[in-house]
Amino acid sequence: MASEASTRTIMVKGLWKDNPIFRQVLGICSTLAVTNLVLNTMVMCIALVFTTALSSFTVSLLRNHTPRRIRMMVQTLIIAFYVILVDIGLKAFWPEMSENLGPYVGLIITNCIVMGRCEAFAGSNSPVPSFIDGFYSGVGYSFILVIIAFFRELLGMGTLFGYPMPFFSTIWDKWIIMVMPPGAFFALALVIWLFRTISADSEEDSK
Amino acid sequence: MKNKPWYPIAYMFAVTLFFSSIIIGLSALTRDRVEANQKLAFEKAVLDVLPIEVPAQASNLELHDLYVKLIQDPTPSSGSAYIYKIGNEIKGYALPISGKGFWDEISGVVGIAPDKKTITGISFYKQNETPGLGAEIAQLPFREQFVGKTIAKTGAPFNIKPVSEQTDDNSVHAVTGATQTSIRLEKFLLEQLEIWRKAMM
Repeated sequence: MASEASTRTIMVKGLWKDNPIFRQVLGICSTLAVTNLVLNTMVMCIALVFTTALSSFTVSLLRNHTPRRIRMMVQTLIIAFYVILVDIGLKAFWPEMSENLGPYVGLIITNCIVMGRCEAFAGSNSPVPSFIDGFYSGVGYSFILVIIAFFRELLGMGTLFGYPMPFFSTIWDKWIIMVMPPGAFFALALVIWLFRTISADSEEDSK
Repeated sequence: MKNKPWYPIAYMFAVTLFFSSIIIGLSALTRDRVEANQKLAFEKAVLDVLPIEVPAQASNLELHDLYVKLIQDPTPSSGSAYIYKIGNEIKGYALPISGKGFWDEISGVVGIAPDKKTITGISFYKQNETPGLGAEIAQLPFREQFVGKTIAKTGAPFNIKPVSEQTDDNSVHAVTGATQTSIRLEKFLLEQLEIWRKAMM
């Protein structure tokens, strides 16, 4: 960890090799909670990418001044700061979305990915690589969430972004369970299974 | 300096002060806007449940002006309902209702005609029910059922019945699969309509 990793390595790790969802299985609470509509999911993901990238950056900026013993308190404070910024922004400028996401925006503070990146990377690397690391970890989380949300909304409600889809909103017998909590567990498990199988194959190929 | 026992405390204090100041500043700056948004959501719901022609592309400001022009705050004689008036003539009532839903508080408005019993519409401006199930109460198919129904003169003022039962003038069908939301909605809707009925009849 001491040597500075290249942008490309950081990117590949965040998006694939150490993907927060299907590799590290972090941040599952929000994965289950907000993935029943694609639009909500995307806003949640943007909020998370913003928070991980900037908190990693800030934690890294302060890393040489922060006493080790209180570093987690400082990290939580910084994370909370950015999350509240997002929350205030949504409440003021996009009240409908703020209403839809309810308490989940605030819960980004407790999302393990954010603190995980601060602890594992930002604490021992300089600000710019930390920012990149936070950003790509956020994106790695986001693309899995959008995949899950896509299938949950399509199969469960027959819509995408709230617009009725041909076939799925008419002939298709909606799987209501997909938009309920159990549907999230099924979808998440299937996605983890699928992606782990793919990444296991690609690891074997490269050997 | 870093090894001094007071350093962590001073450091934490300084960091907290810095970030909190920014947050406090920003939330003070946006406070008016946030409050206006909440008020507007309510005003939209009121305009929606009353027989008022609202231009489809109306901006938030136009909606607010329309609300100010047509709607008056509750008076003792309106049983806590907002009053839709043109000149001196009462054109309808908008009764705010709220109560506990399955997940979170549900807040809405019931529009009632000047005859004090015909429902002209219902709208929910705050709810956090399960998307696809309980949240369907905020969608048109469920809300449209209320239009033209009446508040009963005696007994339960209104009912939300399972889809297997026939509806009459004083009841609508619940959302299938959203039993808890329906039960809770029916409970507070009933209580609050009953209070209104007592005050008005």
